Amino acid sequence: MGQIQLTDLMKRFGDTVAVDDLSLDIADEEFLVLVGPSGCGKSTTLRMLAGLETPTSGDIYIGGDHMNYRVPQNRDIAMVFQDYALYPHMTVRQNIRFGLEEEEGYTSAERDERAVEVAETLGISDLLDRKPDELSGGQQQRVALGRAIVRDPEVFLMDEPLSNLDAKLRAEMRTELQNLQDQLAVTTVYVTHNQTEAMTMADRIAVMDDGELQQVASPFECYHEPNNLFVAEFIGEPMINLVRGTRSETTFVGEHFSYPLDEDVMESVGDRDDLVLGVRPEDIVVADTDPDDAAIGDHELRMDVTVVEPHGDQNVLHLSHPDQPSDDDALQAVTGGMHLVTRGDRVTVRIPPDTIHVFDAETGTAVHNRRHDQEADLTELEQ
Amino acid sequence: MSQSSPTGSFDVASLVEDVNLRRVGQYALVVFFLGFFLVPLETGIMTAIKTNESVARSLPFAPPASEGFTLGNIQFALEQLSGSFFNSLVMSIPATIGSVLFGSMAAYGLTMVNWRAQMGVLMLFVVGVFVPYQAVLVPLARFWNNIFPLARMIEPMVASIPFFQGYHADLVPLVITHIAYGIPICTILFRSYYQSLPNSLVEAGKIDGASITKIYRRIILPISKPMFGVVFIYQFTQIYNEFLFAFTLVTGSDAPAAPVTLVLPAIGASTSGIDFGIRMSAAFLAAVPTLILYVAFAEQFAKGLRTEA
Repeated sequence: MGQIQLTDLMKRFGDTVAVDDLSLDIADEEFLVLVGPSGCGKSTTLRMLAGLETPTSGDIYIGGDHMNYRVPQNRDIAMVFQDYALYPHMTVRQNIRFGLEEEEGYTSAERDERAVEVAETLGISDLLDRKPDELSGGQQQRVALGRAIVRDPEVFLMDEPLSNLDAKLRAEMRTELQNLQDQLAVTTVYVTHNQTEAMTMADRIAVMDDGELQQVASPFECYHEPNNLFVAEFIGEPMINLVRGTRSETTFVGEHFSYPLDEDVMESVGDRDDLVLGVRPEDIVVADTDPDDAAIGDHELRMDVTVVEPHGDQNVLHLSHPDQPSDDDALQAVTGGMHLVTRGDRVTVRIPPDTIHVFDAETGTAVHNRRHDQEADLTELEQ
Repeated sequence: MSQSSPTGSFDVASLVEDVNLRRVGQYALVVFFLGFFLVPLETGIMTAIKTNESVARSLPFAPPASEGFTLGNIQFALEQLSGSFFNSLVMSIPATIGSVLFGSMAAYGLTMVNWRAQMGVLMLFVVGVFVPYQAVLVPLARFWNNIFPLARMIEPMVASIPFFQGYHADLVPLVITHIAYGIPICTILFRSYYQSLPNSLVEAGKIDGASITKIYRRIILPISKPMFGVVFIYQFTQIYNEFLFAFTLVTGSDAPAAPVTLVLPAIGASTSGIDFGIRMSAAFLAAVPTLILYVAFAEQFAKGLRTEA
């Protein structure tokens, strides 16, 4: 039905390679989010799926059929554009109906009926006779969605559909989109540069950088088991802390501190020498104890608080090493919202050994990811 | 102070304070330019409604004295021009519609559809804008008279259309010439407008299954309505006022198919001298169609200029 298969997909624009050897299988009814920084090739991939760009090489299959040379209309897809691309001179009704005009097997009355039906699904039936410029951003967004679902396609393609909305509306539309996708059971490929959208909406996330696929995995895996430095950095807000250093025996030695590595970490590290140590800000434990008196443990270090960003539910602390105050953002840590720390405080920071990620500094690939109880996590996911 | 003044709240003193050299200068300049542009116009109107003796005796811009006033000039000019008015409209309207429509289509094909050699074709259009009229006059005349005498071929057909005479066939080559000559500039004008439209409109149309022609007809054409206003006015004025092509292809003011621009120089001129009253009347009458067009399309015109900017 709506399963998609991309094999060795490649797209060149002159000398630049926009999409490089991309292979990806998307299951029927799956919500896949293509995410990456701008210029990473995610939109080009989507446009090739839509039939708006022709791949330089490689194959596209939708529902098992080869799609490379088919016009968009015959691919059984619908697309939502970032700027909605509503036809400004047509009413909402005409906009929604337009996509049905070239579809076979409808009478004129049935087309009208279907447009009204779709408008009802989206709660915009009272707007049917308005023009797009008389609608708010959220309403325009709904019309764009209506135009996509009216043809009842097997695949939805969405190109940053929420980026023109304000923050509150965006959160609302996110949930609504997910519900709609569930309800219609349509395979969806969703392009965004916003990692929050990717994390909250996706069944699986495909992270792209520089035309290449970095990782395809569930949001959970992308966050806790990143394939490489790029994925680790891209997913997560505030960003993962990364410290460059070298290995000396079984100890990681950074510029300002050393950190003993556990046995199982050492197992995966092997004899690599240049390493990058990564730890998520929320995994760092900031201790309240007066640091000057307390003995410093193996996995602890003393740091100064340079900036406190209160978010209400949590505080984001920017920390610096006492021996290099100029680097005021050496680490970031997240503490609970009730945990009050003031700027200028000296604190003891503990990096629990089971939360660390270790990356190969040369290739960027992850050699060790944080420990987590796979069983427990999976049951949690299913709930 | 103001309470005691007889004019109530109106304070005369404040007016005096506002008067300074700068303001006086500004107003003087405005009045000067108003006169500069309006006096010739006023002179023209006055001349048009004066008898020939009155033109000779009174100041050019002075209104006619009671015995010097006449509407005969206008009446005479109208009689002289009525046939050529019809010719002019028969020529300009189809030529304008044709060049504007083809220009818009060409611009659509050159900006919103991807194909090879696009740049080369665009260059040809740009070059087409700069081909001087004078350079093509002789080839044009030879082509329509000797190589492909279209006017002679379709003369019987044209004669059978109601309200038309056989000689109106002479206008057909002129119409085609104007369309061909107008397409490049219309294309360039539309192109800049289409480039400002979001590409996603065409893409959305493609996804919705519309063909290239349907996207043009149903999406692009209706959206470019304001631009059509601008280009239509511009092109109509150009073609209506054009003299060289008309002179070359229709030859002379005494030809029955002569448009207004050919007839105008001959009106009021005779061996006994020039009748300025008749000439002025004819000139004003000749300008009326373009004036009507500007007034009728003023709103579209302003809108089009706004959207283009």
